[in-house]
Amino acid sequence: MRARLGRYLPLVIIWLPLLINAAHVVGFTAWTTWLSFTPSDLLPEYSWAGVRSYRAVLRTPSTEIAYINLLLYSVGFVGVSTVAGFVLAVLIDQRIRIENLLRTIYLYPLAVSFVVTGAVWSWLFNPGLGIEKFVRGLGWSSFHFDWIANRDYALWTIVIAAIWRGVGFAMALFLAGLRSIDPDLHKAAQIDGAGPWRYYLRIVLPGMAPVAISVLVIQLQYAIKTFDLVRAMTGGGPGISTTLPALVVYDFMFQRAQLGRGTASAVLLLLSLLVVLVPYYAYAHWRARKDKAHG
Amino acid sequence: MVVQRRKLLAGTAALAAFPGIARSQAVKPRVTFISQWSSGSDGAAITGLGKRFEQEGGIWQHSPVPGFTTDMMNKLRAEIIAGNPPAASQLKGPEIAVWSKIAPTVNIDPLVEAAGYEKLIPSELIDLHKPQGHWIALPMQVYRTTTLFMSRPAMKKVGVTKAPKTWAEFNEIATAMKGAGITPVANGGMRWDDGMRLEIALSGISCDAYRAAIMNLDPKAMKGPEMIEALVQARKFQKWMDPNTAAQHYSVHLPAFLKGDMGMLMMGGWAQGVIKNLGGNLDDVLITSVPQNEGKPVFVLNADSMIFWKRKEPDLTAGQQLLAKLMMQKDVQEQYSQTTGSIPVRTDVDLSGSKWTDGQREASAVLNESFKSKRVLLSLAHNMAQTNPITAAMIDVITEYVHNDKVTPEQAAAQLVTAVDNARG
Repeated sequence: MRARLGRYLPLVIIWLPLLINAAHVVGFTAWTTWLSFTPSDLLPEYSWAGVRSYRAVLRTPSTEIAYINLLLYSVGFVGVSTVAGFVLAVLIDQRIRIENLLRTIYLYPLAVSFVVTGAVWSWLFNPGLGIEKFVRGLGWSSFHFDWIANRDYALWTIVIAAIWRGVGFAMALFLAGLRSIDPDLHKAAQIDGAGPWRYYLRIVLPGMAPVAISVLVIQLQYAIKTFDLVRAMTGGGPGISTTLPALVVYDFMFQRAQLGRGTASAVLLLLSLLVVLVPYYAYAHWRARKDKAHG
Repeated sequence: MVVQRRKLLAGTAALAAFPGIARSQAVKPRVTFISQWSSGSDGAAITGLGKRFEQEGGIWQHSPVPGFTTDMMNKLRAEIIAGNPPAASQLKGPEIAVWSKIAPTVNIDPLVEAAGYEKLIPSELIDLHKPQGHWIALPMQVYRTTTLFMSRPAMKKVGVTKAPKTWAEFNEIATAMKGAGITPVANGGMRWDDGMRLEIALSGISCDAYRAAIMNLDPKAMKGPEMIEALVQARKFQKWMDPNTAAQHYSVHLPAFLKGDMGMLMMGGWAQGVIKNLGGNLDDVLITSVPQNEGKPVFVLNADSMIFWKRKEPDLTAGQQLLAKLMMQKDVQEQYSQTTGSIPVRTDVDLSGSKWTDGQREASAVLNESFKSKRVLLSLAHNMAQTNPITAAMIDVITEYVHNDKVTPEQAAAQLVTAVDNARG
C-alpha cells in the first residue's frame, strides 16, 4: 500500500497542478482564439466569421496608436531601466558603507503597486498640483511642465513612472550577477595591470550578458502587458494618445461589449508577446547547446 | 381613514385587473435591482425609491455597481450568462433593444395601459422602451444635456447680465471672461464630456443636421458644413477650458465655478443635483438652455431607465409589478426628480412648487415646446442615439480631435464616417 502510494504520489503532485494550469492557460487561450473568429458581440456566439474581427480591430485608430505607443514605451522603459539599473548596481558594488539602506531604497518602488505608482505620479505631473506648481512656488513663475496634459508628451510621463518603478528590480538582478563574479578574477586582472574601466568592460560586462537578457525579457513582458499604470495615470488620454494594447483589449471587451473584437485584440497582444519570447527561447536553446559542447 | 379606504379600493381594482397578482399576494413582493447609482444625488434618489417600495410592503434589494454605466453592464452580463438576472436593472436608450434579445424580459403592457401612460410621455421615449412592440422597460427621469450653467459671480466680473442666445454671443462672453482671468468653460475632460460638447455645439447650430448626422448616421450630414462648424466650436471650448484638465470629471471644477473663477458649464440637468449635494447655492448659478443659432428651442434628451428581467419566483414577479406601478406614479417621479435635478418623465407634472428649481421649470417648458415642434433629439454622449460600440467609435474620434490640434475639422468629420462604418463591421 505504502509502496504504491510512494509510486503514485509524485505523479499526482506533478500532474494535477499541471492539468489545472493547462486547463486554465491553454484552455482559455484556445477559447479566446476561437471566439476571435466568431461574430460574438454581447454574448459568445459560436458560428464562423473568419477574420472579420481582426480586420475591424486593425482598422480602429486606437489599435494603431496603441502599438506605436507600445514600441516607444518598451524601448524607453526597458532601455533606460536596464542601463540605469546596471549603473546603480556597479555603483553600489563599490563596497560602500550604507549599501543595505540604498539597496532597500532603490528596490522599494517595486513593492508599490502600479495603481498607486500611477496615482502618485499623476499628481506629481499634474501642472496644477505637482512639480510645476512646486517650482513656481519657489519663485520661477514661468516654469512650464505640463507633459501629462499634452498629448505629444503624455506617454513619456508614463515611461518615467515605469522606469522609477522598474529600475530597482534591474539593479537587484545586476547586483546579484556582479556578486557572482569570482573575486579572484578581479585580483588576476589587477595583477595583469587592467584598470577599473578595462576590468568592467572586458570581464564584468560579458559576464553580465545572461543577467541582462533575463532583465530585458522580464521588463519587456511587463511593458507589453502594462495596463493599470496607464489606467491610473492618464486613463489613456489626453484623447486616446497614451492608450496601450492591453487597454484596447479592455475597451473592446468591457466598455464596448464587443467580444469578437476584444478577443481578436487579445490574440494580437499574445502574438506580440511571442515576439519577445521566441527569440528568448531560441537564445536559451543556443546557449544550452553551446554549454554542452564546451562540456 | 379616508386614505386607507381609497387604498383598499385601488387594491381591489388592481386585483380585479390582474388576477396573477392576487395569487402572488400571499408572498411579500421582492425586487433585486442593480444600477450604477451608489452615491451622491443619484444614490439618494434610488434609495428614496427603495424606501417607498418598502413602505408599500416590498423588500428592496439594491446592489449598486459604482463606476461607469459599462461597469454595471458587465455585472449584468455576467448575471445573465449565469442564468440569474436581477428582477430589474438600470439600462438605457438603444441598449434596451440590444439586451432584450439576449435574455427574456417581462411584458408590462397591461400595467402601462392601466396607467394610461403612453399619452403622458414624449414619443421619442416610447419607442426606446418597447423595442419589440411591448413595454419591457420604463424611463425613470429625463435630463436635458443642452443645459448652460453660468456662474453669476463670474458674470458680474465681466458685466454680463443675460445668457447668450447664439454661439457668436457665447464666444464673445467667453473671450471677455478669458480677458478677465476667468476660465471661461468649466467642463471636465472625460470622454463623454468631450463627446457631449460636440453634441451641444451641433444641436445648437442645426437641429436637422444633428438628427441626420448623429441619429441617422447619414454620411453626407456627418461631413456637412454644420458638422464642420460644430467641430470648430468644440475646439474653441477646449481652448477655453482648464489646460490641466486631462481626464478629470467636471465636478472637480464646481467649487471654482461657484466662486466665479470659472464661467460657464455645459452639462446635463444632473449638475443641479450635484451642486446641491456639494452644499452649493443654486442662486449663484444661472441655469438656461445652451445657445441655439436657429432661434428655436431644441431639447437633447438623456433618460435613465429600468428594464425588467423575467424571473419565475412569485415574490420577484410580484415585486416587478409593484415597482413598475410605482415608477409610473406622479408622486414617485416628483420625489425622484426633485432629488436629482432632472425633470419627470410624465408631462403632466406641475413644476410650479417651491421644491422645483427655475432650471427644472425652464427645461420642462423647453421639452414641451420641442416636443410639439418635433425638435427633441437623443443624446450621443449618453448612449441614447446609438448603441455602445458605435457611440464609443465616434467618441474616440471626437476626443482625439479636441486634444490634437493637428487633426483638422474636415479630417475629423471624415474619420467619424470611417469610424461608424468600421464599428458596424
